[in-house]
Amino acid sequence: MAIVERPAAPLELAPGATVTVRPLGVFTRPKATTGWRSWFTTVDHKRVGILYGAAAMFFFLLGGVEALFIRAQLAAPGQELYSADLYNQLFTMHGVTMIFLVVIPIGAAFMNYLMPLQIGARDVAFPRVNALSFWVFLFGGLFLNTSWFLGGGADGGWFAYAPNTGVTFSPGHGMDFYALGLQMTGIASLLGAINLVVTVLNMRAPGMTLMKMPVFTWMGLVTQLLLVFALPVLSVALFLLTFDRLFDANFFNVSAGADPLLWEHLFWIFGHPEVYILILPAFGIVSEIVPVFSRKPIFGYPFMVFSGIAIGFMGWGVWAHHMFASGMGPISVAAFSLSTMFIAVPTGVKILNWMATMWGGKLRFTTPMLFAIGLVTMFTIGGLSGVTHAVAPADTQQTDTYYIVAHFHYVLFGGALMGFLGGMYFWWPKVFGFALSDKLGKWHFWLILIGFNLTFGPMHILGLQGMPRRMHTYIADYGFETWNMVATIGAFLIAVAMLVFVGNILMSWRAHRANPVGPGPDPWDARSLEWSVPSPVPAHNFDTVPTVSHLDEFWHHKYQENAEGKVVRVATGAEVAQKGDGTGVHLPSPSYWPLVLAAALPIVGYGLIFNLGIAAAGGVLVILAGFGFGFEPSDDPEAHHGPHGPLGNGHGDGRAELGAGEDGAEPGSEGESAAKVAAGEAEPVGVTSGAGGARTSDTAADEEGSSDG
Amino acid sequence: MRAGRKTHRARPHRRALALLVPLLLLLSACASDAPQDTLEPEGPIARKIDNLVNPVFLIAAVVFVLVEFGVLYLVLKFRQRKDDDPDELPGQTHGNTKLEIGWTVLPALLLGFVAFATIATLLDIEDTDDDLAIQVTGQQWWWGFTYDTDGDGEFTDDDVLTANDLVIPAGQNVGLEVTSRDVIHSFWIPKLNGKKDAVPGRTHPLTINADEPGTYVGQCTEYCGLSHGYMRQRVVALPPDEFEAWLEDQQDEADMPTDDQAGAGADLFAAQCSVCHLARGINDDDFEERGDGTEQLVSDKAPDLTHFASRGAFAGATFDLWEDLDGDHIVEADEIGTDNDGQLNRADLEAWLRDPPGQKPMDAVSPEEVEAGEQGRGMPNLNLSEEQIDQLVAFLETLD
Amino acid sequence: MADTAIHGSIAAETEHGVPSHATSTGISNEKLAMWVFLGSDCLLFGALISTYLLLRHRSLTGPEELRGPANVFDIPFTSVSSFVLLFSSLTMALAVGAIHRGDVRRCRTFLLTTALLGSVFIGGQVYEFTSFVNEGLGYTTNILGSAFYTLTGFHGVHVSVGIMFLMSLFVMSLRGKLGPERAETVEIFGLYWHFVDIVWILIFTIVYLIP
Repeated sequence: MAIVERPAAPLELAPGATVTVRPLGVFTRPKATTGWRSWFTTVDHKRVGILYGAAAMFFFLLGGVEALFIRAQLAAPGQELYSADLYNQLFTMHGVTMIFLVVIPIGAAFMNYLMPLQIGARDVAFPRVNALSFWVFLFGGLFLNTSWFLGGGADGGWFAYAPNTGVTFSPGHGMDFYALGLQMTGIASLLGAINLVVTVLNMRAPGMTLMKMPVFTWMGLVTQLLLVFALPVLSVALFLLTFDRLFDANFFNVSAGADPLLWEHLFWIFGHPEVYILILPAFGIVSEIVPVFSRKPIFGYPFMVFSGIAIGFMGWGVWAHHMFASGMGPISVAAFSLSTMFIAVPTGVKILNWMATMWGGKLRFTTPMLFAIGLVTMFTIGGLSGVTHAVAPADTQQTDTYYIVAHFHYVLFGGALMGFLGGMYFWWPKVFGFALSDKLGKWHFWLILIGFNLTFGPMHILGLQGMPRRMHTYIADYGFETWNMVATIGAFLIAVAMLVFVGNILMSWRAHRANPVGPGPDPWDARSLEWSVPSPVPAHNFDTVPTVSHLDEFWHHKYQENAEGKVVRVATGAEVAQKGDGTGVHLPSPSYWPLVLAAALPIVGYGLIFNLGIAAAGGVLVILAGFGFGFEPSDDPEAHHGPHGPLGNGHGDGRAELGAGEDGAEPGSEGESAAKVAAGEAEPVGVTSGAGGARTSDTAADEEGSSDG
Repeated sequence: MRAGRKTHRARPHRRALALLVPLLLLLSACASDAPQDTLEPEGPIARKIDNLVNPVFLIAAVVFVLVEFGVLYLVLKFRQRKDDDPDELPGQTHGNTKLEIGWTVLPALLLGFVAFATIATLLDIEDTDDDLAIQVTGQQWWWGFTYDTDGDGEFTDDDVLTANDLVIPAGQNVGLEVTSRDVIHSFWIPKLNGKKDAVPGRTHPLTINADEPGTYVGQCTEYCGLSHGYMRQRVVALPPDEFEAWLEDQQDEADMPTDDQAGAGADLFAAQCSVCHLARGINDDDFEERGDGTEQLVSDKAPDLTHFASRGAFAGATFDLWEDLDGDHIVEADEIGTDNDGQLNRADLEAWLRDPPGQKPMDAVSPEEVEAGEQGRGMPNLNLSEEQIDQLVAFLETLD
Repeated sequence: MADTAIHGSIAAETEHGVPSHATSTGISNEKLAMWVFLGSDCLLFGALISTYLLLRHRSLTGPEELRGPANVFDIPFTSVSSFVLLFSSLTMALAVGAIHRGDVRRCRTFLLTTALLGSVFIGGQVYEFTSFVNEGLGYTTNILGSAFYTLTGFHGVHVSVGIMFLMSLFVMSLRGKLGPERAETVEIFGLYWHFVDIVWILIFTIVYLIP
């Protein structure tokens, strides 16, 4: 069980103790923390976050190209640019990709990178599990997409309603890839979610009470809790589908007596919390951006937090609003109609509180702020159309038409993606040490805004004119032609906007290389702790762990009340920020095992589809890799403990030569409890007095970076 | 394709409310004639939904305007000016509990009102007495309709079976019992009521009612596999007396054609098409009933063609069967099932017989494979000669 | 050194060997992670049990007498194996108690006993499955078969993983690597084991006892 790993624990010996070092596992432990190879073995939450973001943007490209294919086909009535079969695969994979491989992982990227920083921690609770989570996600996503080369992608829609996804009706392997691929990304998200929940609950800096956490971290916590409880339901649904398809089980076999609504319920019990999983991180991002560029604290912090929690809870009671036409009884329809309406209340509170934050402020329209305002205005549209189909009788006219397509793109593109793009502009200098061009950023924003509204605005009309979703073509004379053409033009405009974004990244990077002046720790005059450390953030995050006494702790170091009770600037961000020169901070060591363990899962997947022998071999590999992962202590006992630079993966000067009793965890001894071995090994058995001045930050790191005490 | 229908004046202001995108307000004036328009009800039940939707859209529009223009106001009013002292902070408000409770409670009250109206309409729609019951069966990728003509209270093969065109009496509540034989479909005639999923193994009630005689179009709205986009359906509402006459007609068996070419077509039909199609009176002996569909739940039955020529469309209502003398695809609704004024849409029908999967994507298997128990979906290419096609068309035209 | 830290060093507060200072909640990361995981697992079994409840009476295929749960199950046999599993919770609790008292030997004995009891339960499940299959209720026979084997199978996998853990702890203990300082490791595993047992009480009640 990987989740009982004890991370980042310093391995210390009582003075004078001697222990022999034994190499563990088949690999020599990787040492490098720089260079391209180090990205494969990193366990640093920031680098894992960047990997998540990069992988998500790669999949965004795939999903975007799929969308362009869809829009090209629908540009004019009666077109058959490619087959109906391919169209069905394209819209299925577009949805699956955008939801599971783009929006969830972009959220994960932000949460991985920022949540430890915002709570004043040096890493997540289980750094290697974090790396494992990323690699499992990546391999799951790649596995899913290799279906294109192995007989075609999934063709049952992202919602995969039974029995259309059974072998009888979908005889290709696409739906097998769907079921197994999503199972993998689900494992990835679950590992990540448990990790981040524990991190936020357990690893907050001294004084960082729950109600002093930034709103982003709060929304991240709610998101992760939703994942923890929603994913197993999807897992069960996918297991049932897999067993039906591969082992002839009868879960969705109607002639054996099955009820297809079982899948619908299971899927949406996961699927609706999923909607909030997708949107809440973006809400969190906007709640960070708007105060900074309004130069005011977030309006009604407790309301923002509690409305997020309320959404998290109420999100569990609304799933069947996806099923108003499915033939549930009128009582169920009425109940879910009511619950769905009232979930609009906390969402509305958020919108109004953002507006109240802007009220009376001094608004600076930087690119991040534009995207944040974009979210507020566009999400409002998605929210309002959402209320119109909470009205169940109206929904029987709207569901499965383009009106719904419009609605959820206003929520997920106008909401989530706007927020994420704003977040990228906002934290880019922090993450990469150079800012993106504001000028190109504004081009990017306006092109996105126009392209987005051109694409999805007309879909409201198309839907109300009765154009169903998921049709590979449509016929003329139904009033669909004009708006489809507009939507297609809009879609290509979005593509242009995203090219501007790519161009912005490249040009800003080149400009930075030509003139490498960093943005400084606090380019925006911002509020939360991540701005109190240098840009880019050093590997150890904080030289000394901050003690927190306020919400917006960092801001309170820059602004204080003067004698007349007026809040004035007392320091610049650079003056009160940490310097990033802390030496001797003890960090977990890189590892190959997350990569290896994750790579074993697709082998099981391919094996289940094509050859059970390979699946068995893959299973053995998973178990072996699990052993390896578990047996490996989170610290490398062989790591050289010399002096390290501030960005190094340094252990304290004069730190223990080696860990006590790593030899207890030998390859080949029993069980997955190996993780516990690591856990156990991490218990400090004594204290070494660190040599030299490293002592202070050393112990500080120990105190918060791990749980050894 | 245009089904016969009245032309409608688009009401742009209502779409604009729903659209909620000011950018597109100007453009929405050019919305065209839309026979599946959800905002143009032509029956009492659809009108109930519409009466509910209108105030909801209005409320949504008001909120939309308040928020969007509110943001615009904030952006203009509170932007940082050039002459602002960058170190001068604006007033640092942290919140206002009363205000926030206010804008929590107010939307809740507003939504309470919407909820009340919703539940009332919901129960009102559910509480409908039906004058007539028809079974609606979805299958990949066409709709079948069964009328309980033998009056035993059940829908069986002894009853009248039609496809594509659901003929109903105008002005009456027609209770549909929606079900499916394979995957989930959804039956939807936007102008008459909302949609209802056709789920295999379940029967869902849905009531439709058309004010006036006419043709009302719709499409399958639950993704149902390969040819989902070509699974269409139409409701043909007749005056009640004509409906009774039509139903009488439908109970007749087809007559063996007298004409040579059509006769050859009938023989061909009995030889080639009996694996899947039945024309009562023609190939009853050759037609093999392969189960009632509950064992396999795949479409192993094709439409009953006994009264093929009395319908307005074929191939899952993908193609019109009749066109007027100008070649326009149009069928006047009140002529359906009586005497068609138009001429046969020969081009599409011939193309269909020549290569069905080429006209509409289907997972078809050959008749031999069907005999061998393969589960095909849709009509295969039978490699008919042009002469055979002509004979079949001549025969099919006699099936009125 | 970072001399411009926001609030200066907090090193003075850091005391080694006082775990409760280590985390914000006072619960160790590992234990908290296990609790969160078990919360997640509740939903997994919740979904599986709901599926079973929904499907158990719906079978239309297979031999008539194997379509209803009541005709198939051997309640006395499963009651015994359920009791064995429940008893293993007691020995697990005793193992945790022993390690907290520093009684490594007794802890080891109880861990092995727990593993053995768990194995007896799994053995019983294998026997039960085999006899059902011999009676004609295979995995694909009907819906009842699919739902029953999937639900109990998932539970069986949980127990089997638990046995692997127990054996690992046992081997660690033999090698002297499971001293009192690792009491929490045993305790965290105990949480898992008790959870699996509680789930079985639910499954036994729902699958076997409720007609």
